[in-house]
Amino acid sequence: MLELPHLSRITDIMTVDRRDFLKIGAYTAAGSMLATGLPAINAIASKTAPTRKPEESWAMVIDVDKCDIDCTACVDACHKENNVPDFPEPKHDVHWIRKITFKQKHVENGEERSLPAMCFHCEYPPCAHVCPVEATFVRKDGLVLVDKHRCIGCRYCMIACPYKARSFVSRHVDHKPTDNPDVPIRMHGVVEKCTFCAHLIDQGKEPACVTSCAKKGKGAMLFGDLRDEKSEVFELVRSGKANRIRSDLGLNPRVFYLGV
Amino acid sequence: MTTRYTKIDGSSTGYRNFLIVSGAVAALAPLSALLMFTNGHYITGMNNQVPWGMPIVMAVYLIGASAGSLLLSAMSSVFGMKEYKPFSRMAALLAVLLIVSALMAIILDWGRPDRLFIPFFHIQPRSMFSLNAFLYSSYMALGLLYLWAMFNEREKLEKQLGLLAVLLAVLVHSGTGAIFGFVFVRELYNSPLLPPSFISAALSSGAALMILALYYTFKFTGRELDERHIHGLAKLMGIFIAVVLYFIFIENVTRAYAPKNYEAASFLLLNGGKYTFYFWVGLIGLGLIVPMILVLNPATNRSLKYIIPAAWMQLLGVLVERYIIVIPAQIMPLEFFHDKEITSDFLDGAYANYSVSPVEWAYSLGLVGVVVFGFAVAIKLWPILPSQANS
Repeated sequence: MLELPHLSRITDIMTVDRRDFLKIGAYTAAGSMLATGLPAINAIASKTAPTRKPEESWAMVIDVDKCDIDCTACVDACHKENNVPDFPEPKHDVHWIRKITFKQKHVENGEERSLPAMCFHCEYPPCAHVCPVEATFVRKDGLVLVDKHRCIGCRYCMIACPYKARSFVSRHVDHKPTDNPDVPIRMHGVVEKCTFCAHLIDQGKEPACVTSCAKKGKGAMLFGDLRDEKSEVFELVRSGKANRIRSDLGLNPRVFYLGV
Repeated sequence: MTTRYTKIDGSSTGYRNFLIVSGAVAALAPLSALLMFTNGHYITGMNNQVPWGMPIVMAVYLIGASAGSLLLSAMSSVFGMKEYKPFSRMAALLAVLLIVSALMAIILDWGRPDRLFIPFFHIQPRSMFSLNAFLYSSYMALGLLYLWAMFNEREKLEKQLGLLAVLLAVLVHSGTGAIFGFVFVRELYNSPLLPPSFISAALSSGAALMILALYYTFKFTGRELDERHIHGLAKLMGIFIAVVLYFIFIENVTRAYAPKNYEAASFLLLNGGKYTFYFWVGLIGLGLIVPMILVLNPATNRSLKYIIPAAWMQLLGVLVERYIIVIPAQIMPLEFFHDKEITSDFLDGAYANYSVSPVEWAYSLGLVGVVVFGFAVAIKLWPILPSQANS
């Protein structure tokens, strides 16, 4: 069995039962200032019940060599699936997934390549750590999600996220009849982000971006369960060829890239 | 030496007009907040690149001034510096008003101020915001109790509450510094020096605020002011400014030393356009060095003609400091790869833009109005001002 110490540690923490959890809560509240580094606080993330087998640990591997610079299949599919609106000004726009173009610094005529970036669903998500009301939480299968009925819109998570994965909805958005009814209705004044299409995962499907990339793109995006040793994502992660963006920060994102 | 405190008469037309004007200014805060909530935050200068703008700058600034005022108020009761006794009530009152205004600044800027109670009934020990919700509200309650003990001449209780309030004020403002200092993904925030640096800026701006509050209230109420009080405060202000300068110096050279921070450090110190200008001219020059020289130099530090402008410069200088702390870290693009340039339609890799919008100006001015209006009402309702401030 492949050792992914950090990722497997999640399950250990998740086994803390409710009574222990309350105890931990009491201790940490007492020594709140000192407790900021206690990993036990991760136990807070266990409040949401799993919707599928708890031993799953979702991850994505993206092959950058298969990502065409002018292809936006993943972005289009995401926006359609999640009813992501288009605001008039780009600086207020809501982004769940975006195409990033990159080239080597300090070289002339460096080759331009591109990759899709969404929420990387970190194992140690700074957004969830800074959220004062636990509106952002980690599900048992590793997904980092936002409860938009709980978010107070303080935007501390946007300051803390190194990947700009989060957007604040700064305008009212009307619900359209063409909207996908499977995702929650958008709400202004709260922060939202990519959910890895949790609603699709829970039906046993893959995220919309992955499906669309396979259908309309070159199949650069792979989605799977890291605990399933037969899965392709597991194999690629084990090969050591897959990198994570800003791994120096130690956040252990669940999105891996090949070829960058 | 005993100090007698009296209410102001408050029957003059001048006072009434002052209340009307300051009350109208104070009303700008909730009104602009209502505009932000009903329209959405797109009417402000804040956006998805710069999620924190002037409301957060004001909140941090007001909390600092509050902590500074409270520490000065406790000088006489806790640290036994009796010469500060005459204005301990004023300072405590200002501390309470400033934290009320700061809480307004934070809460009304949320996207969902209608969910007001969630953070106060839920603790998330890893979030500085969550901890601060409890620190700020207990600090406000303690400040009120402390004032009550003063009004009732309960000296022992005043001393005990004062000591607690000092400890809490230090925690409150360290917690405020930690909001930014803990953000390890942004080079311009991440610093263990922010909490102590915030405390020293709190003290210097608190002293400046006290100088101005004493000077103007005594002038407008026609009470006799012993200038020696101002001289003492001015000297304190000068010393605390020197400490602030020291922290800023250490923080910036430490940051600039690491090659990975060259871009961030040079953005702030050399080529950041208006931010570099605010830093060197607004903060270092006019906000810190000039007022420090004015209040420490024997040729000028005995004259109100120099001390009052120096206090104004320092008070505004610390506002610039808060701006410099909150904003530029968000203007800098976040780095995906150390060695690659990135671009996207979400402005990745690009320097962001932020300018204070009219609604944020109104909001900020309103928050100051809340403090001024509250102060003017309180000195009529309670015996806060010393009948005459000489020892």
